This record gives sequence, C-alpha cells and structure tokens, in this order.
Amino acid sequence: MAPSTSTAQPGPSGQGQSAHAPAEDKAQITTLEELINLLLSNRTPPQKNDALKTFAHKETRDALMAASLPNGADPLNVLSLADNTLGYLYILCARLHVPGAPPPTTAQLEGFCEGFVPGQARLAPDRITALAKGIIKASGDNLKLALSPLRHLVTRYPPNLSYLTNLHSIFLNLCVKTRYFSVALPILSVPILNVDKTLSELTYNDNLLYHYAGGVVFGALGRWKDAEEFFEIVVTSPAQTPAAIQLEALKKLTLVQLILYGKPVQPPKYTNATLIRLIKSTPYNNFARAYPQRVVALNALMTKDIDTYRTDQNIGLLQQVINRAPRWLIKKLTSTYLTLGLNDIGLQVGLETEEVRSVVLSMVEVGDINASISSDGTVTFVDATPQFTKTQVDNALLQAQAQSKLLHELERALNASKEYLAKALKHKDESWGGMEDDALYNTHPGGPSGPWAEESMYA
Amino acid sequence: MDIDDVHTTRTQASHSRVLPIDENHPFDFDQYTSIYSGRGLVERLLFLIPQCPSLAVQATQLAMKHLKTMRDTFLYQRLLTAYDQASGNSPDAPLPPVNDVINIDPAWIEDVNRRNQEDRTKLEVELKTYSSNMIKESIRMAHRDLAEHYRAVGDYQSALKHYAKLREFCTTSQHVLDMCLSVLELLIEQRNYAHIPTYVFKAEPALDASTNALRSTSFATPSIHSAATPHAAATAAQATKDRLMNERQKTQTKLEVATGISHLGLGAYDKAAAAFLRAGSSNSLGTWSTKVIPPSDIAIYATLCALATYPRPQIKTQILENDTFVYSYLESESYVRELVENWISGRFKAVLEGLERHSTRHALSPHLAPHLHVLTQMIRSRAVALYFQPFATVKLEKMASAFGWNVDETEQEVVRLIGEGEVKGRVDRLGKILRAQEVNQRAELYARTMKVGQDMQSANRKLLLRLRLYVSFFIPASVFAPFILTWIILANRRT
Repeated sequence: MAPSTSTAQPGPSGQGQSAHAPAEDKAQITTLEELINLLLSNRTPPQKNDALKTFAHKETRDALMAASLPNGADPLNVLSLADNTLGYLYILCARLHVPGAPPPTTAQLEGFCEGFVPGQARLAPDRITALAKGIIKASGDNLKLALSPLRHLVTRYPPNLSYLTNLHSIFLNLCVKTRYFSVALPILSVPILNVDKTLSELTYNDNLLYHYAGGVVFGALGRWKDAEEFFEIVVTSPAQTPAAIQLEALKKLTLVQLILYGKPVQPPKYTNATLIRLIKSTPYNNFARAYPQRVVALNALMTKDIDTYRTDQNIGLLQQVINRAPRWLIKKLTSTYLTLGLNDIGLQVGLETEEVRSVVLSMVEVGDINASISSDGTVTFVDATPQFTKTQVDNALLQAQAQSKLLHELERALNASKEYLAKALKHKDESWGGMEDDALYNTHPGGPSGPWAEESMYA
Repeated sequence: MDIDDVHTTRTQASHSRVLPIDENHPFDFDQYTSIYSGRGLVERLLFLIPQCPSLAVQATQLAMKHLKTMRDTFLYQRLLTAYDQASGNSPDAPLPPVNDVINIDPAWIEDVNRRNQEDRTKLEVELKTYSSNMIKESIRMAHRDLAEHYRAVGDYQSALKHYAKLREFCTTSQHVLDMCLSVLELLIEQRNYAHIPTYVFKAEPALDASTNALRSTSFATPSIHSAATPHAAATAAQATKDRLMNERQKTQTKLEVATGISHLGLGAYDKAAAAFLRAGSSNSLGTWSTKVIPPSDIAIYATLCALATYPRPQIKTQILENDTFVYSYLESESYVRELVENWISGRFKAVLEGLERHSTRHALSPHLAPHLHVLTQMIRSRAVALYFQPFATVKLEKMASAFGWNVDETEQEVVRLIGEGEVKGRVDRLGKILRAQEVNQRAELYARTMKVGQDMQSANRKLLLRLRLYVSFFIPASVFAPFILTWIILANRRT
C-alpha cells in the first residue's frame, strides 16, 4: 500500500531519517515558538511536515498554530515562503479553520498562492484541500475574492495542468457559482490526461464535478464543441452504477449536440447502458427526436414538460436549442434545393420573410451555409468546398505524430509495469489461448499468428 | 403520436373505402370468382362486398350459394354485416334490402348447428376411446378429424389446438409434414403471418426426412425383384426418382409460397419476392391453387414486391428469364408481364398507369391490400430514381411528362426523394430543373480525413482519461488496462 511512483522519490529517504527524529521532536515541541525554531532550523521538508503534523496534542495543535508568537510578532512574517512553504501552509490553514482566530489577510493568502513552492506543498495534500476550502469560506458572501488565490493554487500545485486534482473541481465550482466563466478557460483548455490519487485528496466524484462544471462553463460561453466533449467525459466515466450527475450531464449533452449537429448523436459504445435506458424515459429523448421542427411546434413540446426542464435548470439551454431550429431547417433545404425564394423558405421553416432574410444572412456570415440572396428575394445555395492550406495539413500531421508517440510511450510503460507483467505471467496459458483465437478471426490463415498479428496488419 | 394518427386514419380509410370500378379500372368479377373455390372464395367475397357496393348484390348471392354447402354458420353472420357495410358505403345508389337478395333460412342455420354439435360429440367420444386404448395412430387420426371439423366450422383456435396436440402422435415424418401443411393453410386463411415461418421451419426437416425415407425404401425393393433385367431396374429407379422429386417439389413449392405470403404480410417485401420466385411450377400447388392462393395472385405479389425492392438486372434475370415463373404464373396475368417489361425498358409512365388501372384488382386481394399503398409508393420512388440516374440535369417539366404528372406533383415527389436520399440531386426552384449533385471528391476526402483525425484525437484523449480513472479508482484494471490501450493504438493506426 505504499504510495507508489510519483511521491515516492522524496519519501524513502525522508521517512528513513524522520523515523527516529520525530520521537524526540514530539516530546520537545509544545509551543509555537519552539515549532517556529524547528522550522527555521536546517531540516528537510518531509521532516518538517512530520513535525508539523505531530507536535503538541491533537486538540491544541491547531489553536496553538493559529496564535501569534509571545513577543506579539506574526509567525508568518518570521517564516520565509521559499524555505517554509509547509509551515506557512499549516499556520494559514489553522487560522482559517480555528474559530476565533484572526483570519489571514487577503494579501497573505494571495501571497501564499502565488509564491508557495509546489514540491513542498505536495507533502501535505490534506492541508492544501483545507486551505482551498478555507479560502472560499473566508471570502464569505464575496465569493469573487476567492477566485484569484484559487486560480494560482490550481495552476501551480500540480506538476502540470494535465494532472487532475481535487482543487480543479473546487475551483470550477467556484467559477460557475460566481459566473466568472472566462477565468476558468486557461485551466479548461488543458485536457486532463493524468490521474494521481496521491497528488491530492482526489475522489472519484472530483472528476465528474470538474468536467460537469467545465461543460457548464463552455456552454455558458457558447463554445459548444468543448462543452460537448466535457459533458461526454462525464457521461462516459466508468462506473458500476451511474451517478445522478452523469444523467444530468447526459441531458445537457443531448441539448448541446442538438445545437451542434441539429440531431441527436448516439453516445459512445462504452457509455453505461443504464444511463442510456434512463434518458430514454425522459422528455429529452422525445424532444431530441422531434428536432428540428418549426419553432412553434418545439415550443409546444417544451411547454408540455416545462416542469421537468425547470427543475433540471435547462430552460435557458433549451431556449437556445429552439432558437437554432430554423437554421437547421434551412440547412436541410440546402441539400434539396439550389434556388429557393425567401418566402418559400419562410413557408417551410415557419418564419416571416424578413426574419428568414436575417437568419440566412447570419448563417452565411458564420459560414454555416454558402448562399447569396438576389434582389428579387431568391436565395441561391452554393456548395461550400472545404479548403485546406498546407500549414493546416502539416499541423494535423504533427498532432497525429505527437499523439502516436505519446501512445507508444504509454504502451511501453504499461507493458513494463510490474502489475501487468505479474498478471501476464500468471495468466500466460489462458490469455495466450484466447489471443490466438482472436488472431484466428482477424487475420488471414497462414499469416503471422500470436497476440500482435492484428497490429502488424495496420503497421 | 402524429404518425400513429395518420396510420390509423389510413387503415380506417382503406376499410371503408369504395374501390372504383369503371372503364379506367376494369374488374372482371366472373373471372375473379372463377379462380377460387370453397372457403377461399367466400372469404374473398366477404372482403370484396363492403368495398364494391356495385357488385354487392351479385357477390352476396354467390357467397350465399356457396355458404349453403358449408358448415360455418358464423360466416353467414359475417355476410350480413358485410352487406350492411356495403349499403352504408353506397349512399348514392341504395342497395336492395338483404331479404330481397338472399332468403334467410333460420331452419337451415339451426340444422347446421345441430349437425355440427353431433359430429363434434361423436369425434370427441372417438378420441376418448382411442386415448384410453393408447393406439398412437388412431389418436393422431382422431385429433386430425377433430381439427378438420373445427376448421370447417370456423373455430380456428380449437382447430389449431388439435393440430398442435396431434404432433406428439406423429410416427413418420410424412405425418409431421401433413400436419404442418394443414396448419399453414389454416394460418394463411387466418392471415396470421407471424406464425407461418415457425411451421415452415418445422416442415423443412420433415420434408428432407420423408424424402430420404421414401428413397431408401423404393430403391431397396426394385433391386431385389428385377435384378435380372438391369435396364428395367434403371428405368424403374429413374421413374421413382422422378416421382420422388415431383413429390418433394410439390411440398417445397407450398412451403415457399407460404413463406412468401408471411414475408409479404410482415412487410419484408424483398424476402417475399425471393420466396415467391423460388416456387416451383403452378401444378405443384395442387388444391392450394384454388383453396389458398391462385397462381395469378402469386404473379402479382411477386412482381409488385420485386419491382419495389429489386434492382433492374435482377428483375430481368429472376423474373423474365425465369422460365418456371413466366410459364406458371406470369402467363396467367398478362398485364403483370407487361408491367415488368415496361419497367425493364424504362417506360415508367406505362408502369404507373398499369398499376393504377389494376389497383382495384390488387386491393381486393386480402394479403396484398394492406401493403398496396406502400408498395405503390416504393415503386414510384424507384421509378423516379431510376429515371434520373443517367442525367446531369433534367427539366422538371420533361420529367413530369415522362411520368404523367404535373410539374408541382413531380417537384414534391423529387423533393421527398432527395430528403430520403434516394435521388442524389438538387432542385432549382426557379428554373424548375433537377440537377445531379456534383461532388468534389478531392475536397471531400480532405475534409473527411481532417474530421476523422480530429475525432480520433479527441476519442484518444477521452479514452486515456478513462484508462487513468480505471487505474486509479477501480484497481483490478491492471489486467484490463493494456487492452484499452491496445485498442486505442489499433484504432489510431487504422486511420
């Protein structure tokens, strides 16, 4: 059960030394002054962390840390952030959480979040969580104040932004609550690729919450493609029994896909089957299947189940979906007609001629369709031929190469991992048999057999 | 919901609709009735009466004449209801009251009912006796007699029940085969399409088994007796072989026809066409050709289904160049042959007109009637698609004249077909021109490649996260994880 890989590097050496050291430290340190002295002495961060965690009594520890020094000086002024990130962190947390203690100033919090040393802070993930929650609590009604320190915390704490931490979900929730959506964009723009439970107090729900909130943020900003991806991640997250938030995400995903594609899209194959069954019985399914139609008909559909949509808080999104319906109808017409009068379009779509004109104009502007309107009100649709420049193609190729390299490294790492090898060795006989069966079905007879025969076909 | 509404109104409409019979829609009543006999005829007349009030009197009298020879008094009730409906359907030309058309004879009804009751009691007693004696063959025959009795009386449920019971007392595969064929007749009469395949599947192994059994016995016996004259033995063997094949062919044809009717009833038109076209010559149908389905009906069903679903070359090879089908079936309805020939030579207007001209005949066929509208629609669509195929641009006007429609109608049809993806083209509303779609393959390829690439990258990202989540939160994934990764890598290479 030893914390594996990433935090293990400082671990063994630090723990080895501290095994005997804290025994005497614990006995000695009973006041804040002694603690500060110890922190100022020349010890390694893990040792300090041990000391901080174990000094004095459990009940009085936080109260002691929240107090000030006997000479009235603020311990935070004595400690330097670069050397004593941990001490600073513990004291800040104590002050935030001990009732009656003087709360840290905004400047102190900001200062810490901007200046802490990530390597040290990662020794105390519980304190970091407590700090994040404390900052939100301390900001009281004015939640906006918490945004900036938390943003620094999220950005600086993990090794890089592709690591998921529980700070991610805390911060995103805050952004959604305060409706400061664009603040979250720099964080959201880095896709999560690494999950490490030892890095922070990460729970399974953090992944769902983070991506759900991310989807909401992108949705609010009108970046539907990104919103789709985030909701899809929530929906397809592995789970034995789906979480309620996954169903909510699926509902939003359905609506977002209507905005994006004008029709419902089949969720990926690895989506939990229960979830798909659940959504079938909601009004969303009917709505998606009826889409796109004339606005009047869609509005009627919405009013029919307005209560459901209201409790799900999806009215706004739904309204946007309905507003886009004429565009999809017009888009459909382009595949049938080459020329069409504005009033003919109006008849088919259920809009006044002038409204049609403005919709068509805006669609041409955005690039949804390629068309021109002549003076007598005839719309001529032209096929848009997609053009790609050389740089675009090169970029795509570079991305693909990078991706394939990443996957290769991952594969090697996995193939070399202890767990996999142990398992593979244990199940050698059975899995070999199974693999050969696979190979029989997939490769031509007489071709290379064995587990990687398939791969050679595509190489 | 809307679709359901439309559907119900349409079926209702087809029930109470009056079919036109005039110069443009000729219908030969005598010819139509002459090809059926017995129950099949009465059922068809009952189907016809409400829809053709102008023939109602004639048909009712004919039906009554046949009813008197049968033992199903319930049919009599149905005849009266059908006649009532016919009167309701012709408000312009009131029909004479029922009593003037046929004389109702309560005594006859009572008499028949009494006789039915007596027979049933007798048969049931027989069955009981045989059951207590445990003679398998007698029990089987008793069940069979009861089933046939119930069938004659019109109690299909009981008939089916007895046929089902009979099965455990079958000793040879020929018995099973007989049972299956009887049940099939029953099911077709009842229009219970969903159950037909079950009995066809049961019959097929029985057919093989019984043919094999017959072959081994008939080959074994002559060889002993006429060993002296090898030539005679060979001819005899050849004769028995022919007879066997003939027997087999008969049953096989019936099974194919039953399958075809079942597929047609369930709306699988392509399979229906295939089954009908596999059928052997019409001689093999035996009594089925008057009782169950006449060859002319088979010709109509097969042709309509084929026109609606088959590509043109296949129609040519499988219908026009299929001698058995042409001589046995197509010849009995010459206009159907014309339909096919017109279709092959691209005279779509003639095809559609022919369909319309004989729509009354088609709508009076109980198996075909519910699907007629759909089939006609499908044939129309395919005709338009086929017509447009060789052109780059077509004036709608010209197209309209080729099909005998007006321009608006043509446009609607074309627009609908484009929406369904049957026709690859677009309409120039102002110039009234249909223009084939030009696809810039190169640009299309680029666009698609780019899209697939992006999709793949985002899918990889998501799967990778999923993998991480598995590893972190669902520990036993250590075995499982490499497979996800392998999958990702393979998927990646495929593009």
